[in-house]
Amino acid sequence: MQQNKIDKLLKHDVSWLLDSGPDGDIAISSRIRLARNIQGLPFPTSASPGQLEQIQTAAEMALKKSAVIGKDYLDFHMSDYSVLERQILLERRLISSEFAKKEHHTSLFVKQDESCAIMINEEDHLRIQALCPGLQLFKVWEQIDKLDSELGKTLPYAYDSQLGHLTSCPTNVGTGMRASVMLHLPGLVLSGKINAAIQGVNKLSMAVRGIFGEGTDNRGNLFQVSNQSTLGESEVQIIDRLNTIITQLVMHEKKCRSNLLKNKKYFLLDHVGRSYGILRHAYTLSSEEALNSLSDIRIGVDMGMFNSIDLHTVNKLFLTINPAHLQKFAEKELSSKDRDIFRAAFVRKQLKNAKHKD
Amino acid sequence: MLCNVCNQNEATIHIQEIVNNNKKAMHLCSECAVQKSQNDPAFDFGGFNLAEMLYNISESQGGIPGLSSLSEDETADEEKKDMPDLECSNCGWVLSSLRRTGRVGCAECYKVFHKVIDNALKNMHRGKLHVGKTPGSKATNKSSNSMLKLMNLQKELDELVQREEYEKAAKLRDKINDLKKKINSPKPKKKNAAK
Repeated sequence: MQQNKIDKLLKHDVSWLLDSGPDGDIAISSRIRLARNIQGLPFPTSASPGQLEQIQTAAEMALKKSAVIGKDYLDFHMSDYSVLERQILLERRLISSEFAKKEHHTSLFVKQDESCAIMINEEDHLRIQALCPGLQLFKVWEQIDKLDSELGKTLPYAYDSQLGHLTSCPTNVGTGMRASVMLHLPGLVLSGKINAAIQGVNKLSMAVRGIFGEGTDNRGNLFQVSNQSTLGESEVQIIDRLNTIITQLVMHEKKCRSNLLKNKKYFLLDHVGRSYGILRHAYTLSSEEALNSLSDIRIGVDMGMFNSIDLHTVNKLFLTINPAHLQKFAEKELSSKDRDIFRAAFVRKQLKNAKHKD
Repeated sequence: MLCNVCNQNEATIHIQEIVNNNKKAMHLCSECAVQKSQNDPAFDFGGFNLAEMLYNISESQGGIPGLSSLSEDETADEEKKDMPDLECSNCGWVLSSLRRTGRVGCAECYKVFHKVIDNALKNMHRGKLHVGKTPGSKATNKSSNSMLKLMNLQKELDELVQREEYEKAAKLRDKINDLKKKINSPKPKKKNAAK
């Protein structure tokens, strides 16, 4: 039965990745997550198994009763799922890596189009996230704000008049809100300006991270920019500040790209063309090489250098070339070497199809 | 001694900590310390948990006697060992767990460990008082609507600038700034006496 739910997810398109959104050429998606805890119960870190169960039951009941995520949702009891299946949820950004490691008394509610997901008993009792394609933080806020208010009617939240929403980690206290935008910034990287840009953003007390792996890993030239401070400003103020910074970044990225096209046209064409060659013809493809080559193809697509591949094909590949997804498609566990072979064949096929479309 | 992070500047902040008799030392220049703590509270300097350090630094700034970890000499370390671990009576979470994980055990912990947390919050956030949503209140419809309006106006502004209609753009910009001020002015909150 549980496999059906994972299969159901895989069958549906991920709305935030495949629908078009404002500034979608550079801003892939906008996400907001809220940390919420139920009054009177200890946070998951210090809760006993009995209390964890109590939290899980209360949260599940409230989610079902309030119907905040609509009718088309899937609920997962994480203990029913294998490591590989949890890895798929992680690759789809529906759960955190910390959550993927927790087996007991943890559940996940996901809207079928994956625009909304709620983790129960992660670091906090509830971690609610909403996503939209492109740069539209305000729209995401509108959705999650409504959901949160509805849920708050059923669940009494742990709250303090001075500190706001109380969370397991004091870095989230207050609004409990982390807003982030996933950005594709190859222009800034190729122009050697990315570090300056990151430092600038950091100075404005926003965090920049690579999407894959940890810290400064910038495989695929994908970055996530998010707010650090959650206390002392309203949600709207935080979002407004973040939105302004992202808008600036998008502008700089555009400038870098048009400068590259103007001044280093053949460098850029060659860069994109070689990556296309690799993706079309390689027989082994590591995840890093695939992500970086896909990033190059994405600039090519954005700049109209291909008419046979669209942005959605590339966006989808950013997700499906990850290890757990590949193994799901292969219907067996694969060693890292076998994965590279399978990945190369998979990408060759996808891009071949894409080309034939036009 | 050079800073462990940039290896260029003289280290001015020395952090030494003893957990289960394991001694850890970290030497940073003030620039790197500030940058790291601002950028990423979960930043890990090769085995060092920044959450841990943040709490330690705030403790020392707060001047909680016996808990200062900026202790270079053994006597202070001894003192620290002798300090009883502060414990939350509601959930049993102890101060040393907070310092190790950067997390608290329950809502009550915020009161129990408030001296340590309040100081750490200063390094983490832009303010000390919550001005966002209150649970139980209706969705912030009003501000949501204003935000949508703001978003549309901003889009309009971009278009005007692109068409180089600067006079109109300037007027619109003023309108946007007014609206922003309106959205951003926090609701007056009663200020409770300090804890």
